[in-house]
Amino acid sequence: MNLSSHSPCESAPDASENRAVDVSLRLPLLLLFGNAVHWLVIATLISLVLAIKKIAPDFPEILSGVSWFGYGRLAPIARDLFLYGWASQAALAAGIWIAARLAGRPLEGVIKNSVVVVAILLWNLAVLLGSLAILAGYSTGVEWLEYPNWASATLFASFLLIAFRAILLFDYRRSERVEVAQWYVVAGFCSFPWIYGTANLLLTWKPLQASAQGPIQAWFAGTFQLLWLFPIALAALYALLPRIRGIHLHRRNLATLGFWGVLFLGGWIGLARLIGGPVPAWMAAAGTVSSVFLLIPIFIISMNFLGSSEVESAEVIGDLSRGFLLNGLYALIGAGALGALASLPLVSGALQFTDASEATYQLWVFGAVSLPLFGVLYASIPELLGRDCWCVTLARRHFWITIVGFWLSVGFLVIGGLITGLALIDPVVTFRNVGSFAYPFHVLECLTQTLLFIASLILGGNLLQALAGNYLFPKR
Amino acid sequence: MHRLPTLLSGIFLVFLTSWIGLVAYSATQLGRLTPVADADSGATLPPHYSGQAIAGQRVYASEGCIACHTQQVRQTSVTSADIDRGWGLRPSVPRDYLRDSTAFLGNSRLGEDLANVGQRLPDAAWHFSHLYAPASVTEGSEMPSYRHLFLLTKIQGERSHDAVSLTGIYAPPAGYEVIPTADGRNLVAYLLSLKHDYPLPEADSVKKNQATSH
Repeated sequence: MNLSSHSPCESAPDASENRAVDVSLRLPLLLLFGNAVHWLVIATLISLVLAIKKIAPDFPEILSGVSWFGYGRLAPIARDLFLYGWASQAALAAGIWIAARLAGRPLEGVIKNSVVVVAILLWNLAVLLGSLAILAGYSTGVEWLEYPNWASATLFASFLLIAFRAILLFDYRRSERVEVAQWYVVAGFCSFPWIYGTANLLLTWKPLQASAQGPIQAWFAGTFQLLWLFPIALAALYALLPRIRGIHLHRRNLATLGFWGVLFLGGWIGLARLIGGPVPAWMAAAGTVSSVFLLIPIFIISMNFLGSSEVESAEVIGDLSRGFLLNGLYALIGAGALGALASLPLVSGALQFTDASEATYQLWVFGAVSLPLFGVLYASIPELLGRDCWCVTLARRHFWITIVGFWLSVGFLVIGGLITGLALIDPVVTFRNVGSFAYPFHVLECLTQTLLFIASLILGGNLLQALAGNYLFPKR
Repeated sequence: MHRLPTLLSGIFLVFLTSWIGLVAYSATQLGRLTPVADADSGATLPPHYSGQAIAGQRVYASEGCIACHTQQVRQTSVTSADIDRGWGLRPSVPRDYLRDSTAFLGNSRLGEDLANVGQRLPDAAWHFSHLYAPASVTEGSEMPSYRHLFLLTKIQGERSHDAVSLTGIYAPPAGYEVIPTADGRNLVAYLLSLKHDYPLPEADSVKKNQATSH
């Protein structure tokens, strides 16, 4: 898929310039994508184990009572591998590819490619050793920031080295015209150091008095999803969807409003986690208000894409890419709607802390973020390798199993969350009974987690054969 | 927004709003809350943790208890269920966390809330049995066993006074006993000190609640 060929912009780079861009990106982006996918496989495997442990607490019997196999140690690892191993690396790769292609410039300059490659390896080393440290009992205990200080400091520094050049590309582009996707990449790449640095500094490196930590933890969780990962997913939608579908954005002028809306509200939305919690009342109110108002930028973004009629694409991989991007868009609408609903104080009283909170998280990080990233992965790898490399059968299977697994998972989580939530606010129902209401949904969760694990295995296999093919049949 | 400096300034300003509103506000206001003196007892509130409880906090963090347990009693304006369930006498307020090294507020209630577990379940022996074999004291419990916080040792002479009381299928083999490790003891000391049962100026309803419940 050619990111620039359908561009209405007159000074669009031609095919040979695109090749130059892709060649300059090949090594770092293949490293990022390859590592991202293998962490995804491991993260979904651990999530499957966790799902089984929810219905059989001491599964497997032989490892029962072994400290490093405890639920509380595996749970943060599954989440961190997903967020830092898979999502962040895939978002880095997608953002860099989109920024470089839209700028029409190879990635070169201030920081050498070799430095970036070392930074990527360090990132992965930090993810690996950090996760092992959590397993060994060295977790900081702060949600999503469990990695020990040396690992989080390495992640922070590596990110700066990997992302810096992509930010500069904005000013280094060939065309005067700016695309919405380019703003989103700059915003996303600037936000990670900002929020990860702030949160680590105040919560783990030099922790504040704990009475101040709650709102900062919530701010971090919200901004990590809405200001770091989500803008890159939106860049993918804005860069790829119009081209794959052969359309112009509907009401593009409103996209600017959508951009600032997401950036502004994304900073406050995490507070919805603390409705009713030990924070000043205005903070909880701000959580509700921002969750509801976020529906406006989400509406604008949806209108940009869904407002115009689509053109069928003949290309299979292009079709799959589009399928992932569109499902990401639907998940975004679902995430916005569920988030707004669950932030209303009375609804929150029931749904908070149940599987419905998990459903919102899944809709954001798996749906609105990971699905579009899969779309970029399928679109970009053939360009980076310079040939068709995907096994279409495997790609199709990955698509369908992922989509079915994801939507079923969200559906079960929402229904299960609703039922346990309604039981939890009724003190007559004992806590043990609440657990028995949740039980069938935890069984179903094992099923959906199995599907998602199989899907990521298929993706991993497909990517392996794509890369091995390049080794066996060198580039044209 | 055609130039990077303009775009970056815009992004910076927008990011700054929530950063000032949430991060800087919390650090400068909530981060400077101080203990208060209780007029009735003369004690400073919230009370200090014992050294053992402080060590136990580390165990709480490394075992990842936060994956299933919250530590917050929610405001009655949102739901009264937390208090009705007996999870606390009053809603939690920021000052309650003053003595913690990390605020373990949590985001999932696969297990019960623990903000006041020390007040609700004050018996250390119960906690040891529960951590070793949750189902032995709470039938049908979905909590995994934390057996690695205990040692199975041969009884030397007399049975140790701190041996965990276990019966039926959970009992150790004859001649053996189950003793908590230092981590296990510290964790239980921490759990027992989790109680927001004192009055604070911003949460004085505790006394009213106590008065009506007794």
